[in-house]
Amino acid sequence: MKTVSSLLDEEWHKRYKSISKLNIRSSIYDVTNRCNLRCKGCFFFSSDEDKAAKEEMDLQKWEVFIDREKERGVNLAILIGGEPTICLDRVEAFYSRLPTFCATNGLIKVPRDRFPHLMVGISLWGDEEDEKLLRGKDTFPISSRNYEGDSHAYYLYTITPKQIGKTERIVNRIRDVGLKIHMQLLSNDEGVEEFFWTHEELKDIRAEMDDMLDKYPDVVISSNYYHEVITTGKMFDRQFGWGECPSVTEPIDRRDPRPKHLMGFIRWASDLKTMHRCCTSETRDCSTCKDGAAHMSWVMVNKRAHIRSEQDLKNWIEVYEMFAKLYQFIPW
Amino acid sequence: MAKDVENITIRIAEIMINELKLEDVTPETFDPEIDLVDEVGIDSMDLATVALVVQDEYGIRIDEDDYQKLTTIRFIAEYVQERM
Repeated sequence: MKTVSSLLDEEWHKRYKSISKLNIRSSIYDVTNRCNLRCKGCFFFSSDEDKAAKEEMDLQKWEVFIDREKERGVNLAILIGGEPTICLDRVEAFYSRLPTFCATNGLIKVPRDRFPHLMVGISLWGDEEDEKLLRGKDTFPISSRNYEGDSHAYYLYTITPKQIGKTERIVNRIRDVGLKIHMQLLSNDEGVEEFFWTHEELKDIRAEMDDMLDKYPDVVISSNYYHEVITTGKMFDRQFGWGECPSVTEPIDRRDPRPKHLMGFIRWASDLKTMHRCCTSETRDCSTCKDGAAHMSWVMVNKRAHIRSEQDLKNWIEVYEMFAKLYQFIPW
Repeated sequence: MAKDVENITIRIAEIMINELKLEDVTPETFDPEIDLVDEVGIDSMDLATVALVVQDEYGIRIDEDDYQKLTTIRFIAEYVQERM
């Protein structure tokens, strides 16, 4: 039987041991149904999830709910929406109780005197042209001003097919404002013309993502294996899709056989009662889903499958480290 | 008593191999002292899968809070033996 120590040298084994018992238990929370943008391709609005549940307005009910989530074993609250920063009291209710990550478009600054260590992921879709076309405005000038030099913030750079050959300029823009960057791919939930990925484009963007990681290792939080998995949708001979996705809400997961999945994972709607199917929208075609966290988690929950060669296990470690850095379980 | 733990150890190893489809190992060659998390790569979902079968077979309850203590096959066997 292959074991971890039989495959790794001392240095890699040390890296493995620093993550092997983290036991991250995440869940996702729609903090609000409201947003200050309406982006074409936002899974939340394109699938009418903003209408799926009536937002709970009583802060005390949020606090009781979060305490219950903590008792359930959740040790990472991922806040999405809508735009969470519209409801900072709710964000604070999470932040004061649990390790918390807040996804935001960056237009509203999270006040650091109130949230000194809150990890913030700022969304950026492509370049200025893509931002205007898909989101109605270029958010970068505002979000970069709000978060310049912030050590607890990074850009979640959603790469579109139009970005091939252009990513280095964006990486440099982000580096120049003293922030780090994590790359993911557009899923194009609203079928915007010219924003569908072709096989060739995915091949090209994988090479470009690898190149950015090689050139800017201190700025880009990523791994080559993650690039491979998210662009090909493949892990070994397995294809990502509904039958494999790990980020399905556990209590309503009726898949049989049930694949390796995130233990106790739930994506809660903002009424604090309704559970969404998965980490993105129910209407998304899983076979073309490019959700970065879902692909990372897919690798992470399949640890034993990677204990088959030195390179496979190193790949797994790098993806797990990337996730742990993005959610502050280990330092950058 | 020692024989009981020994028998349970072999059976737990067998359950683990079958349920988790572990390769290149038999119940007899499975080192009962090996760290299941750090060395074999077992995670909490794997443990939950094994725990279900063990619970059914031995008529005991394995509390999820105890998973972190069940780091080797020997510890699992002793845990089972104490509750039988």
